[in-house]
Amino acid sequence: MASTIHDQMAAAGKVKRSKYLPQGVERLKEEHRKVVKDCRSQFEHWKKVENDYESLQERLRTLPDKLSYDIMVPFGPLAFMPGKLVHTNELTVLLGDNWFAKCSAKQADALVEHRKKHVKNTLDDLQKVMKNFQNRADFTDDLEKLTGDTGDFVDIREEVINEEEVTKAKHRLAHKANSKPKQEYLLDLEEDKEKKEGDEEGTTGVLSEEELWARLDELERQEELQDERYRYTRLDSTDTNGEDTTSSSEEEKEADGGSDVQVNGHQKENGWVPTSITSQMNGTNGSHPEDEEEEDCDEEAGNGLPTIYFSHTAEFKKVRINTGKNTTLKFSERNEQKAQAKRKKKSGKSNGHSPHESYKITSPADIYRVFVDLVNGEPIPRKSILKSRSRENSVCSDTSESSTADFEERRAAFGRSWSHDDATHSDTSDGITEEESPTGTSPHTNGCFEAFTSTVIEKDPLPCSIPHLTIAPPALPTIPERKLEEVGPEAPQEPPKWMSKFKATRLHQK
Amino acid sequence: MAEAIHKKLQSELEKYQQMQKDVSKSMTSRQKLEAQLTENNIVKEELALLDSQNTVYKLIGPVLVKQDLDEAKATVSKRLEYINGEIQRYETLLKELERKSEQHREVLSSLQQEYQRAQGQAVGKV
Repeated sequence: MASTIHDQMAAAGKVKRSKYLPQGVERLKEEHRKVVKDCRSQFEHWKKVENDYESLQERLRTLPDKLSYDIMVPFGPLAFMPGKLVHTNELTVLLGDNWFAKCSAKQADALVEHRKKHVKNTLDDLQKVMKNFQNRADFTDDLEKLTGDTGDFVDIREEVINEEEVTKAKHRLAHKANSKPKQEYLLDLEEDKEKKEGDEEGTTGVLSEEELWARLDELERQEELQDERYRYTRLDSTDTNGEDTTSSSEEEKEADGGSDVQVNGHQKENGWVPTSITSQMNGTNGSHPEDEEEEDCDEEAGNGLPTIYFSHTAEFKKVRINTGKNTTLKFSERNEQKAQAKRKKKSGKSNGHSPHESYKITSPADIYRVFVDLVNGEPIPRKSILKSRSRENSVCSDTSESSTADFEERRAAFGRSWSHDDATHSDTSDGITEEESPTGTSPHTNGCFEAFTSTVIEKDPLPCSIPHLTIAPPALPTIPERKLEEVGPEAPQEPPKWMSKFKATRLHQK
Repeated sequence: MAEAIHKKLQSELEKYQQMQKDVSKSMTSRQKLEAQLTENNIVKEELALLDSQNTVYKLIGPVLVKQDLDEAKATVSKRLEYINGEIQRYETLLKELERKSEQHREVLSSLQQEYQRAQGQAVGKV
């Protein structure tokens, strides 16, 4: 019976707004009611039994008080006779199954107690069953209301256009198909050196096919990833997850997750771009898309149920790696700054000085970003906002603005165009992470979001990082043109960020 | 042709119904055994509560026959084992019957389809 009810429930659940729904639900409710009624009647019965036993026990306790009682003895079916009840302590008890036992009143009392225990157990089971079925009945009621578009239920839907945007959790390597992160990174590096433009995805794909048939799939996947990132950078609103992250394992996992997701997203390429643009535009049109998740609430009577359409906007992936005393900020904050710089550039056309935005604290990470110590003119994050490394130097400043300003200056010094800002940001700020993966990082980090973000900036040895800046530009001669054409950063800078953290450290140490 | 199929269908249907009856019979007997099982369990426990001073009787027909407490305990245990064995037997029987009835159901459905097709053809012909 339970199975049939289950089937009915399943049926009722699957069917939505069809003519079977009311019938199914009615039938289900009928079954529920029947079960509940049965339970109730049985419950009544056993309760009566228990009461009987209680009174019996009372009688047993009082019976041996007197040696004999004067009673009216039933004489046949219709008559009584006065008589005496003797041997008041001797009882013949039916044990069950045609077994009898002679025992005293006290022993009989014990037996009755034992039986009462059984009755109690049965009663408890009945209660549980009743409650269970009552819950099921209530659930079917709710289900009916839900599908019948009545009541206070609201359907909240989120249109997922690109899987990557949804990917919040860090994907474990084992669960991802074809996950070979390190190989990907290395391959990406090779590709970076070979190819310059993201538009060359087709050519790169061709090349990979030609070159390494065995690695065909991976390379193509990377191509797709690059393309994804390229598109991201163009749109300047989403961030890719992961490819940039190198040092920590979780970062790698995230990278894998992002790369895989991007692959998936890329596979729907044709239809993806326009939809993604619109979705991302929706995201960016809101305030502070990087830091917040936006909710687009559209009440629609879509499926007969008021529906709220919800869309996540990209949030930067902020990962902290422990490198001894200081912790390093992953690209996230830099990307944030880059994105802000890009936006500023797009909107304000400012030259090298991004206008100071009122520092807005929207997430705990912002606190760390805003409250920093200025040491030697460089913003260093405090380990705790309640403490400061050097009290006299502690300054509450918006590091993003100041750092962007600094970085932009440096950028100008190197003669790079605006859009190279991101590269410098990442280079100067991160000690371990991808120095050569600048612009790509920011848009890509936009794509993923995390529930917890924390940003800590490590005091980077600037001189060490600067050479990287010089290294990077020569490798990408065509970048400026493309950047001028397109809004966001260019693909060529994307490849560098594929570098694994070990390689990055090696380069860093050079 | 349709008639032949119809007859076959009828016979299969009857067989299936017979099977269903067997299944339900086994079910009821098994339920009875379950009740007996619980009862004997209670008797066993209650016998454990008694001591040898109490006399135990067994009702055989209209007669209460005196029994030894230990004997009674042994008898009840044996009966319990017997009941358990019976339940096992009925379990397997039930499963077998279920399987057969399932097969029969499939046969029945296929026959039904055939019959409907044949009927359709007959209608078409007519």
